[in-house]
Amino acid sequence: MKTVTLDVNGKVFCLDVPDGELLIETLRDRLGLLGTKYSCLEGDCGVCTVLADGKNVLSCLMLTVEAEGRKIMTIEGLTQGSSLHPIQQAFIDEGAVQCGFCTPGMVLASKSLLDRCPLPTKEEIAHALDGNLCRCTGYVRIINAVLSAAQKMKKTS
Amino acid sequence: MKTTSPVGKSVPRIDARQKVTGEATYVFDLKFPGMLVGKMLRSPHAHARIVKIDTSKAEKLPGVRAVVTAEDTPKIKFGSNEYFFPYTVDQYPLEFEKVRYIGDEIAAVAAVDEATAEQALSLIDVQYEVLPAVFDAVAAMKPGAPQIHAARNNIGVMLPVCFGDPDRALRESDYVHEDVFVLPSAAHAALEPHVCIGQYEVSTDRITLWSSTQAPFKIREAMAKTLKMQEADIRVIKLNVGGGFGGKLEMFPMDFCACLLSKKCGGAPVKMMCTRQEVFSCTRRKHPMIYKLKSGVKKDGTLMAITGEVIADGGAYCSYGPTVIAAGIMRFMMVYQLKNIRLFGSRVYTNNSISGAIRGFGGVQSGFAIESHMDMLARGIGMDPVEFRLKNTTDPNTLTINKMIISSNGLKDCIRKAAEISGWREKYGAKKETSPGVLRGIGIGIAADVMGSKMYKSHESAGSIIKVEEDGSVYLFTGAADTGQGSDTAMAQIAAHELGVAYERIRIKAADTEITPFDTGSFASRVTFISGNATKNAATDAKRQILEVVAQELKLGVQDLDIEDEQVVNKKSGKMLLSFDQAVVLCYSFNYGRLIIGRGSYNPKTTPIDFRTGEGNISGSYGFEAQIAEVEVDTKTGRVKVLKMYDVHDIGYPINPASVHGQIEGSIVMGLGYTLYEDLKFKEGRVVNPSFSKYRIPRSTEMIPIESVFIETNDPQGPFGAKGMGEASLLPTAAAIANAIYDAVGVQIKDLPITPQKVLAALKDIKNKKQE
Repeated sequence: MKTVTLDVNGKVFCLDVPDGELLIETLRDRLGLLGTKYSCLEGDCGVCTVLADGKNVLSCLMLTVEAEGRKIMTIEGLTQGSSLHPIQQAFIDEGAVQCGFCTPGMVLASKSLLDRCPLPTKEEIAHALDGNLCRCTGYVRIINAVLSAAQKMKKTS
Repeated sequence: MKTTSPVGKSVPRIDARQKVTGEATYVFDLKFPGMLVGKMLRSPHAHARIVKIDTSKAEKLPGVRAVVTAEDTPKIKFGSNEYFFPYTVDQYPLEFEKVRYIGDEIAAVAAVDEATAEQALSLIDVQYEVLPAVFDAVAAMKPGAPQIHAARNNIGVMLPVCFGDPDRALRESDYVHEDVFVLPSAAHAALEPHVCIGQYEVSTDRITLWSSTQAPFKIREAMAKTLKMQEADIRVIKLNVGGGFGGKLEMFPMDFCACLLSKKCGGAPVKMMCTRQEVFSCTRRKHPMIYKLKSGVKKDGTLMAITGEVIADGGAYCSYGPTVIAAGIMRFMMVYQLKNIRLFGSRVYTNNSISGAIRGFGGVQSGFAIESHMDMLARGIGMDPVEFRLKNTTDPNTLTINKMIISSNGLKDCIRKAAEISGWREKYGAKKETSPGVLRGIGIGIAADVMGSKMYKSHESAGSIIKVEEDGSVYLFTGAADTGQGSDTAMAQIAAHELGVAYERIRIKAADTEITPFDTGSFASRVTFISGNATKNAATDAKRQILEVVAQELKLGVQDLDIEDEQVVNKKSGKMLLSFDQAVVLCYSFNYGRLIIGRGSYNPKTTPIDFRTGEGNISGSYGFEAQIAEVEVDTKTGRVKVLKMYDVHDIGYPINPASVHGQIEGSIVMGLGYTLYEDLKFKEGRVVNPSFSKYRIPRSTEMIPIESVFIETNDPQGPFGAKGMGEASLLPTAAAIANAIYDAVGVQIKDLPITPQKVLAALKDIKNKKQE
């Protein structure tokens, strides 16, 4: 067991966790942040994507003790009150959501991209989302949503 | 914001906000006090007799709350096509005599945590007597092959289809061509693994099951049968489902065991989730198939006859075998006007994992075979593949030779439009070398699809209930099971449109067997068509109830009134009489006290396929489409790059255009994976690539440009003219790509996936032949 101080969605938590506990387990089981989805647990599918210091990481491959000292953001941290982040809104508007299981990870991976590259090309978006699998949409509308969000964010900034 | 008259508009998905915020609840997200973790014990052998099962050590392990084997069950078999095909009922929820594939379920444990459950599994001592196994469908049909069930020659399902005089028609043909097509297995690869929670209530002797499923009512039926309980005592609840694609269409032993374990534990809820490896290896998979076809044409392009044999590797149990084999054959007659056809379909038991339903049932396999074959026939008489198809495809208001009733049919328009938007005339046959050794080609494939299939139950009805509350809120209760395709949204749009209110008013409660009306489930592209009609009927009924009150109050004829865009209007004068809210207040007022509860159901006029003759009108209507692929083939590496796909689809009428395009795009990309690399591989019955790193599905970087166009035929039976369309776009993709490869480099690949190695070998082959 180790005592870790975790910064998740801007809130600080002090938790006693086993050395081998995965970040996904801490987020879901201890903090109740269920938007981080649980699927392959092998780092293959991307549905458990969260942001660590703004960069997308797989919470099934990261130990909770490794997350200490890093700012973790889950999908729950992206919504400010009742207003959605432009990426979330674009996913709705563009019809990029089907079963929704990949959506939180996709949205966060997209945020990570747009934070470092505000006006990406379609190819850059595809490249950035390459680790996030989707079986429903064929990616067409997801990529369109990220493009549209980028344009909207550019206008408002 | 209010969206009135929402049908035909790309309104946001009703569940999209919850999904983008992470608030959408899936079964794995549920957590109950005292909840236990369940795990299945699976056979390590492909075929073995179970001599003895000793669970005593596992039961004694601290933290283990229950262990179940077949001895805890009534030992009743279940099947998925039970009603019309009782001989296909062949699986026990827990096996006790034999195991028939690696992964077959023998026992289950419930423990305080996963590690304890896994340890308990290792402590169950099963003695097996290993039996000879067979892993190849053709070998399994031979005399002397290991006998897996009682079926003769291991043929679990046979479908002989013969109409006309095919032999004579072949003799009278100017050109006859023979081909063998080989289709591999594939995985659904839904991102959410199979998961369920079972909870037994001791005081009432009832069960609640939360399951990630496409068919809650079907699970209820199978559970009631195998647990010897009343259906009313089993409640199956579907939450959000993270993709199904046919892989979550049945009761799984884990559903059964979660409930049984809960009962044995005295009511503690038991959660079971498949690991990704289990999903790939022990749930369901695509039927590998062999199509041996011999067909003939006249010089003028008339398709004279199709004959041949279809062999499907069904794996260890029958699952949806009859539906799959029917879907793999019947589509020939939906697409082509055929007077002479003879096909013999066999679904064969092997000791591989269970083949079952997967988007398109057998249609994807048949789509590749028939559409590649048709191109080769056209080529044999020097006819353009587009012209060939226009000459031979079915027309509207057609009774097919096997008695399918095709009413609306936009297939020819789909073909023409696809040819037009893709620039077929200029591109086909015009070999273009884009860079040294890289050639471009174009190819077509067409398909038809059902919207419902009367194969599983005596009826295929769906029902909906609409209640309008005193405050004007509208609740829709539907049995339809949204698994991500968007049926909740479509149902809400249909309800709102028909009732005459804004889409935003609708609150939907779906797919809970205790609360919502019956629905057979999300399969066979049936939901928009069948559940949509039920929902429309419920809205019509609710509207009638409201208008009766208004008519009485205003002393008008009810037939002269309607509700449109939130207003009660006089249809004759067009005058707005009062708002929907005012009308509802009136219904609930002192003088009337009329609660508004509309109900609707719909049962399409269908008949099951008669497996002795191949006759039957399995669907209330039929959908059609044409797909054209443009590819680039690198003759040095064999690599195929799909440049663009054109899809023109007779969808009747799009309830939600964005959702319809989304289904088409998702299908095409799924088809792209199956065409070029997806291949669930087996070695001695064991899946050798059971992970996303080894079983590759398309990634975002493999996204291709897709141009999707609708042909609106306004189906006379469909709700607002809509047809089902969730599967058809997957059917012609592989053939369109294969035919485009031929156009580019002159080789026809007849076995999927089309890997660079196969292309190179085929290119080498034709080069050698030329030199000879």
